[in-house]
Amino acid sequence: MSCHEGRVAARAAVRRLLPRLLLGLPAVALLTLFFVLPYVEMVAMSFRAPAFGQPFGSGHTLMHYGRALGDPIYTGALLRSLLTGALITALCLVISFPLALHLSRLQGRWHVVFYACIVSPLLIGVLVRNFGWMVLVAVDGPFNRWLLAAGLIERPFRVLFTQGLVVMALVHVFTPFMVLPIATALRNVRPELRDASASLGAGGWETFRRVTLPLSFPGVQAGVTLVFVLSVAAYVTPALLGGQGIAYMPAVVVRELIGSFAWPFGAALAVIMAASTLAVVTVFTLATHRLAERTRG
Amino acid sequence: MTQIDVVGLTKRYGTTLALDGVSLQAREGELVSLLGPSGCGKTTTLRCMAGFMDPDAGDILVDGTSVTRLPPQKRNFGVVFQNYALFPHLSVFDNVAYGLAVRRLPKAEQRARVADALAMVRLQGLEDRLPRALSGGQQQRVALARALVIRPRLLLLDEPLANLDARLREEVRWLIRDVQQQSRITAFYVTHDQAEAMALSDRIAVMKAGRVAQFATPREIYQRPAEAYVARFTGDANIIPARPRDRTADGGFHVPFGGVMLPVPGVDGIRPGDPAMLMLRPEALSLIDPGAEGVIPALVLGTAFLGAALACEVSLADGTRLRLQASPHAPVQPGMTVGLRVDTAHAWLMPDVLS
Amino acid sequence: MMRALSAAVLGVIYAFLLLPLVAVVAASLTAGELMRVPPQGLSLKWFARFLASETFREALLLSLQVAVTTVVVTVVLATLAALCHRALSRRLAATYRVAMTLPLLLPELLTAIGLLFFLNGLGLGKTLTGLQIAHVVIAFPFAFLAIVAALEQVDPAMEEASASLGAGGFGTFRRVLLPLIRPGMLTGGLFAFIVSFDMFTISLLLKPVGGNTLPLALFDFLTYDFDPTAAAAATLSVIAAVIGVLAIERMVGLKRAF
Repeated sequence: MSCHEGRVAARAAVRRLLPRLLLGLPAVALLTLFFVLPYVEMVAMSFRAPAFGQPFGSGHTLMHYGRALGDPIYTGALLRSLLTGALITALCLVISFPLALHLSRLQGRWHVVFYACIVSPLLIGVLVRNFGWMVLVAVDGPFNRWLLAAGLIERPFRVLFTQGLVVMALVHVFTPFMVLPIATALRNVRPELRDASASLGAGGWETFRRVTLPLSFPGVQAGVTLVFVLSVAAYVTPALLGGQGIAYMPAVVVRELIGSFAWPFGAALAVIMAASTLAVVTVFTLATHRLAERTRG
Repeated sequence: MTQIDVVGLTKRYGTTLALDGVSLQAREGELVSLLGPSGCGKTTTLRCMAGFMDPDAGDILVDGTSVTRLPPQKRNFGVVFQNYALFPHLSVFDNVAYGLAVRRLPKAEQRARVADALAMVRLQGLEDRLPRALSGGQQQRVALARALVIRPRLLLLDEPLANLDARLREEVRWLIRDVQQQSRITAFYVTHDQAEAMALSDRIAVMKAGRVAQFATPREIYQRPAEAYVARFTGDANIIPARPRDRTADGGFHVPFGGVMLPVPGVDGIRPGDPAMLMLRPEALSLIDPGAEGVIPALVLGTAFLGAALACEVSLADGTRLRLQASPHAPVQPGMTVGLRVDTAHAWLMPDVLS
Repeated sequence: MMRALSAAVLGVIYAFLLLPLVAVVAASLTAGELMRVPPQGLSLKWFARFLASETFREALLLSLQVAVTTVVVTVVLATLAALCHRALSRRLAATYRVAMTLPLLLPELLTAIGLLFFLNGLGLGKTLTGLQIAHVVIAFPFAFLAIVAALEQVDPAMEEASASLGAGGFGTFRRVLLPLIRPGMLTGGLFAFIVSFDMFTISLLLKPVGGNTLPLALFDFLTYDFDPTAAAAATLSVIAAVIGVLAIERMVGLKRAF
């Protein structure tokens, strides 16, 4: 086919598909206007000058970044958020792998039932799920009463407004995000591969270590990335269950925006939080690049 | 090296009987094919032998010792899967070395044995590639090398050529035969392709609905099938209801056919007067001048030029339709009356079994 | 032994996932005056009190209004976008799909902050319209994914068959695609409803002056009170989710929807 003919064919294909492509425009417009531009606006806002009596002034400055990065209150909150995010991600992974493995081995009716158990929390708001923990761990709640009745503790202990509860509640919130991609990856591991491994002399553990585990990596990578990103920026749970004592980055950002009405500074904090999350994710992606490359589809 | 005995293998899925007493054996160094349409139980038999599935009853013996209770990893059988089942995250080298790594052999020995195995399947220089960067034929060679490198007691091949295109299939088929002959490994080979089974096997087990319909050499299966089902599955055949009149002196039967009495060989247990099935392979029939002595008159219904032969469909006076192959130069046309001669040495009488 | 151990581990993990939800529902059914699990006697009086509270009633109405609008707008946009996705080449489609699901993949908080500034610049800050737009943006990917999944089940040959029989683009959509993907659209709509109904951070930053959605009202309530009215409010979310899961399983099968 000559170059010219190729171009004619391509043009014909475009003409045939054009009406279809146009259907996508409203959604593209929606997301460009009300998703992409707001993010641009957030970055732009972080360079605006502060002002008294209104959210931001005219003129541009780098001072917000200097202030945010120079003050241990903010860098401390950022570090705490990143570390807690990493901890939550790790715990989610530990909990999710057995679930995903279990889910991927079920068939028919039971698969649907357990799938529903994992998926339905996704459809229930974070607030409600956190509230469930408040009920469970209240001083006169069932946990304390069971522990008292079992004689394991002498006085009810206070769990509410502790960092442990925040971590546990966030693990609870994000576990489905980890389970689903891992279960999908495990389902994509063809069963003959396990048969092949066994026929070559590998026992159950050996097959898991050499075949199943590496091949689940695309799911692990997706889950780890998603949970880390979401948990670093989680606002509601620490606000509701963490009390006033511990400052995480999202709470600091919201306080600046809503409490102090300091939009440019709040924006700078948000940008710093997003950039450092992105940096961690990038390092993780690069570090696991070889494995990901080998195990993708 | 190894003799394999499969005795009365039975497997039930819910209410359906997938295997109904399958018995087979392979002598040392023999290649045995399991041939049959999908759902006949051939793959189930292979999976039971490999240990991927537990039979409900029956036994699998290696040199007289039962392996039925052993898990697959303890059997030391090499398996080649229909879709190769190569580990997608491991290089060609690591795929082949897998069984050796699991056995914790020293690295140097692993390297040497992998190199030998890859040389055997004539695939060298691609050790660092990932499976997805290989062609189908190359993947098949890796799968074969991976199964051989562990020096298995038995090689199990599950439709290994099914995913290859026709030209490659021929090539890999000969490779498999060469490798199996060279290493003198006893092998079971599952296929639904009769030509493949004929070309490769020492013996063929034709399977039908969970049972072995006939277990014999390719020649016997083709020329002396035990029943019409086997005849149909192993090549073109005209199969006509017939009733033998009596026995011939040499142990055959006199069968009335198209107005003449044919002396044909057949399955021993048939009694004269019983309904039976007469098999006429296309090459048992030839067209001659209708005027000659003792010929059966036939009407040509249609012809098709096949290059090396002319396929003809003819009908006899009683309405029986037959297919045969004439010389491509034969002056035969639809509507013509021709004479039909039967080479009775290539005819065969079988019992009338519901198939 | 191994079996029993792994069953026990799984049991604990599933209990961890489900107990908080059970606790919420159980607490809302108590007949006593205190938040108690297991409940002391059974009654629906806390639901009555929830509805009697003007704060909660207004918040519920606002949430429903926003959620219903979100469903209508989102499903239309997502259906169009999913049809476009189907027309793209494999590579482009993968990119397009990621782009369309970004609001789901990026933290709600950051999107909320961006929108706070941006909507303010448009003069839509602290208005119902602004809040509504934000809900549509966040709920859109859920509906999009559900409808794309439904469309992927439709053999492209069906459209070709319809076209060869003389149906135009819209005719094919109306007569062939629409009936086939209707369950997917309903699923997408359900997702959009639930996501909007439960949305918190976006609403916190963008809520109109004087308006509270149900999650915001619940949050405020929990900061000062801890009685079963809150459990009744939360139970509504649980019920919506359970109905949603059952309906989705009925219509398309859960596995296809997620």
